[in-house]
Amino acid sequence: MAPPPSPFFDPGTHAAPNSLSVLQLRRDHLIPAVLSASTESEYAEGKVENTRFGSFPHSTLLHQPWGTQVLASVVDTGSRGQKSKKRKREGDDDGQSTPVHETERARKDLVKAVTASSGFAHLVPPTPETWTLCLPHRTQVVYTPDYSYILQRLRVRPGDHIIEAGAGSGSFTHAAARAVHNGALEEAHPAITTEAANGDEHSMVPKARRKRRGGVYSYEFHAPRAKQLQVEVNEHGLSSTVKVTNRDVYEDGFCLEDEEAPDADAIFLDLPAPWLALKHLTRSPPSPAVMKSVASDPATPEPEPSAHIAQTSSTPKLFRSPLNAKKPVRICTFSPCIEQVTKTVTALRSLGWLEIGMTEILSKRLEVRRERIGLQEEGLRGANPSAATVQEAVQRLRDVEGRAKVFHGLQKEKQEEIARKVEAKKRGGKVSPAEEDQEAVSGKGKVKVESVPPSKHDRLERAKKELDNRELFKEGRLVHRTEPELKTHTSYLVFAVLPREWTKEDEEKANRKWS
Amino acid sequence: MHSYIRPHTHIALRLPSGIVKILEIAPNTTINIGKFGSFAANLLLGRPYYLTFELLEKDDERTKTELRVVPASELHAEALGNDHAAPAESRDDPAPTEGGVEFDIVGDDGEVIMRSNRLTIDDPSRQKLSMEEIEELKKAGTGSGKEIIERIMASHMAIEEKTSFSLAKYTLRKSRKYLKRFTVLPLDVGMLTDYLTEREAYKVMELREDTLGLVSSWANIHCSETSRVLTGEDGISQIGGGRWLVVDDTGGLVVAALAEKMGILYPSEEDDDSGSEGKEEEEEPTSATTSAQPGQIATKTPVLPEGTTAPEETSIKPEDLQNGTTEASSNLPPPDPPQDDLPQPTSNQTLSNAPPNPPRPRRPPRPHIPQMSSPTNTLTLLHSNAQPNLAHLKYFSYDSGNPSTSHPLYTHLKTISWLQILHPSEDATYAEPETISEETLATMKSSKRGNYYRKRRRWERTKSVVDETRRGGFDGLIVASVMAPQTVLRALVPLVRGGGKVVVYSANVEPLVELCDLYSKERRAAFVARQFEKPQNGVKIKREVKEEDSEPNTPLFSSYEDGDEDEDFPVNPTLLLAPSLQTARARHWQVLPGRTHPMMTSRGGAEGYLFTATRVLPVEGKVEARGHFRGKKRKTGEGSAVQV
Ligand SMILES: C[S@@+](CC[C@H](N)C(=O)[O-])C[C@H]1O[C@@H](n2cnc3c(N)ncnc32)[C@H](O)[C@@H]1O
Repeated sequence: MAPPPSPFFDPGTHAAPNSLSVLQLRRDHLIPAVLSASTESEYAEGKVENTRFGSFPHSTLLHQPWGTQVLASVVDTGSRGQKSKKRKREGDDDGQSTPVHETERARKDLVKAVTASSGFAHLVPPTPETWTLCLPHRTQVVYTPDYSYILQRLRVRPGDHIIEAGAGSGSFTHAAARAVHNGALEEAHPAITTEAANGDEHSMVPKARRKRRGGVYSYEFHAPRAKQLQVEVNEHGLSSTVKVTNRDVYEDGFCLEDEEAPDADAIFLDLPAPWLALKHLTRSPPSPAVMKSVASDPATPEPEPSAHIAQTSSTPKLFRSPLNAKKPVRICTFSPCIEQVTKTVTALRSLGWLEIGMTEILSKRLEVRRERIGLQEEGLRGANPSAATVQEAVQRLRDVEGRAKVFHGLQKEKQEEIARKVEAKKRGGKVSPAEEDQEAVSGKGKVKVESVPPSKHDRLERAKKELDNRELFKEGRLVHRTEPELKTHTSYLVFAVLPREWTKEDEEKANRKWS
Repeated sequence: MHSYIRPHTHIALRLPSGIVKILEIAPNTTINIGKFGSFAANLLLGRPYYLTFELLEKDDERTKTELRVVPASELHAEALGNDHAAPAESRDDPAPTEGGVEFDIVGDDGEVIMRSNRLTIDDPSRQKLSMEEIEELKKAGTGSGKEIIERIMASHMAIEEKTSFSLAKYTLRKSRKYLKRFTVLPLDVGMLTDYLTEREAYKVMELREDTLGLVSSWANIHCSETSRVLTGEDGISQIGGGRWLVVDDTGGLVVAALAEKMGILYPSEEDDDSGSEGKEEEEEPTSATTSAQPGQIATKTPVLPEGTTAPEETSIKPEDLQNGTTEASSNLPPPDPPQDDLPQPTSNQTLSNAPPNPPRPRRPPRPHIPQMSSPTNTLTLLHSNAQPNLAHLKYFSYDSGNPSTSHPLYTHLKTISWLQILHPSEDATYAEPETISEETLATMKSSKRGNYYRKRRRWERTKSVVDETRRGGFDGLIVASVMAPQTVLRALVPLVRGGGKVVVYSANVEPLVELCDLYSKERRAAFVARQFEKPQNGVKIKREVKEEDSEPNTPLFSSYEDGDEDEDFPVNPTLLLAPSLQTARARHWQVLPGRTHPMMTSRGGAEGYLFTATRVLPVEGKVEARGHFRGKKRKTGEGSAVQV
């Protein structure tokens, strides 16, 4: 029976059990989840993804169409504290290693999740882009702008074979897998999975009949990392596309037991010293002189540089090239430091690579927002309450002047009135009709106070009140700017091409054919 | 593909000036590279790509023009500015150059060619040979320009005053001018993009190769030949299958880039592995056991005797050589404005006195497979003229006016006009032509009958493409158009499946800034709020939301041109998740020992921006966001706040 297709290549219509899904909470906040209907969980609702934006039981995610906005659920996370570590591990492994006693505790039926009053996430299918943002980091990884350019320049196409070393956290691996995938799955045999078994199968299938199957040949000398990547590759349904090998490529190169592998069309080296791996990426055994010049780099004292050479040059074994003999092979090395670049380029030249060039990718994301400026913004969040125009500034100054004048006037009136009252008292304590008039005048004064330009308090009140009727989403000036944190350097990318080998005999043949 | 130079494919020749010429190579023709001379195309056919050849003109020893493969070591030695063999080069890395450290560059015979940086005087008059003399030398047929360079260097008064830095540049400058060399490069999308952006960037919306890579990634483009087209929840609509919607105003460059990554751009790929012609397979070099370094074999290749077949001439316009001041330019048509240098879609690369394209080898007719009929791994191109402009696909042997049935794009590329998708009933080709009974047909003239069948087929094709497209469920939408992006997205986003990708390219940032604003979280909140606060006024908006669930053949776009478009919400902002705006640019460096630095100049012009987002299926109803600042919930008005 054919295994279900990888959710990276063909995710189907909805989130399926035991397959990778991604919960997107914010633009850069995504969590991977292999969804499971299993009841083996400490939660009544079964397996749950707990996030800052709420809890999401798998039962609310499973079988939902991709892209669904899922509401958070009320999950009793009371006992969370002491079990959190364990739960996390389960989430990662999809409970494969769940201890027996857990199983016993498992409930027959899951409690139906109750929707929480707030919080949501979107259920999206995995892609190399989303995976890069949520994969468990074990090393530095190659991000989308870099790997997109690298795969573009390496001309990696469906059906190609690409060598990748070191595999690290598998970010590039997933992007490369998408690039080489050609669905030549059903056609022949389930290719690359295990070296030994397939070595035989390969030889049984007539070569010319078979459509070449795309493959990523990943090398990683750190055993736990290689192992972890293999787990992910299996979990992601990529095991027929990605072949992980635990190996030191400086020492042992890239050839595999399977004679037809890697047969590489492209190479990506994300290694501390790519120049040490280059001697294994030739079409024919390099001459001793070349080997010497590649290995004897004075700036990098090698522990036993002679050992490498001795090993390679004295091997009685038939030389095997890991490269596709019939195509130009392209390489990219990825190094953060310029010194690494210099050494790599020198080695590439010595080994006959052409079209050597170095490039860096400067990428940035932009923020778009509406910048609101003006007196109407006083006291509101996310806006600048300064005067937006000279006119506004003048108006504001006038208002201040006006208020001062009115208050000054009032002050004066008040004083005069007090003075008058004092006078009146002195004169005999009786208020004359004329003084009644005075009262009326001060009544007018009150009216005046109301027409006084608004106080700060008034203005804030008004701004708040007006807010309800404003449409902030289309007010202000539309602006864009670079995101606050900028990646100004990732690595230098060295590119080169190794043409097909072209011998005198080849030339003679071509000459005969085309004349 | 590209394992060797095949007849009747487009190839790129890079000349020493760095200028690239594109031509279609045909057997038994002559390739003319302007003042450099010409040579037989057969000298290139069957040879590998990426080799640099030197033209050896006929002289006493040679009866014909020959091509010499310039070995990698020679190329590198020149790049490094001296004549040492490459393997030893690392030892020649100049010591730190600060503080006026002097060092010598030694010629082949151990003679010191030059030294000292300090006394160099930049004065062109120090070059003793006059231009006329140089021309004389060349006419004398001294073969490769190397000799000329040597003579110039020898006669250069200040040569001894130069350091390796200036000499390296000097040598390079000279070689670019006089060396009769060229490098053969495969014409793939990357190469074509470079070529087009260099010459007529405006025709491809100033799209650069760096941007193309990003577009493909964010659109999640990949080969989906074996993907499933599934049925949606409603039991009618279709979902997935590796189908992408494309709006392309770059003459097909974007289509080509996507097709390349889907494995449907190059015809008959299998040839590379299996060697379709047994004879060819046998001619392939089979083992890698020879000890030679690639390119180290200098092959002297005699040319076929002239006259056996009258060679057709494939000439290249040599205006690149020294900025158009070449002797060969006289026999060319009057100089065109630069943008016309590129061969037009209809015309052949051969510009001047060349005959029309030699006929392509036709494959035997296959069983009839309808055009645009592939169910999976397809591109559906929306076009705003009656016919799509896919001129650039001709470089990949696809003539959109008359496509070869064996080309993968024949079945995998579907085209549909905006009228057809939005108002199919107004499109004549969508209306079923009358059916004629078999008996009547039998009585008709064959030409009429053919006409009838052609019409029927065209209708069937149109109908199936239109119906399929309107059923939606696409895996993604890629837009590189000069049209207002919101109008495109309003129509097409509903046709993208949940979780599908939307990517919009724009040369300038402003259209995308506006687009981001239309999907801003504030606007989204207001949109949702309006739906709930004013149900009676919000009917229209509601309907739009509903539309995505509508039945396959109910018009998805009923409200599209009704004039009741809501000014504030030209698009439904809840349909896209995480709208983002980004830009990326590759910066190229020179890497030479002691002289590593970024290139001093590069192309300006449009920066190129991408809008990316994911299509989602919003919950109907009020949704309250939850912030990471628990208890201090962010609230925007009475509507729903939006997390993402
Ligand atoms: C920066 S990481 C690669 C990250 C990876 N490209 C990604 O995108 O996730 C470099 C990896 O190379 C591995 N490595 C270093 N030297 C190696 C060697 N000689 N052979 C194989 N792997 C090696 C390291 O263990 C490390 O995991």
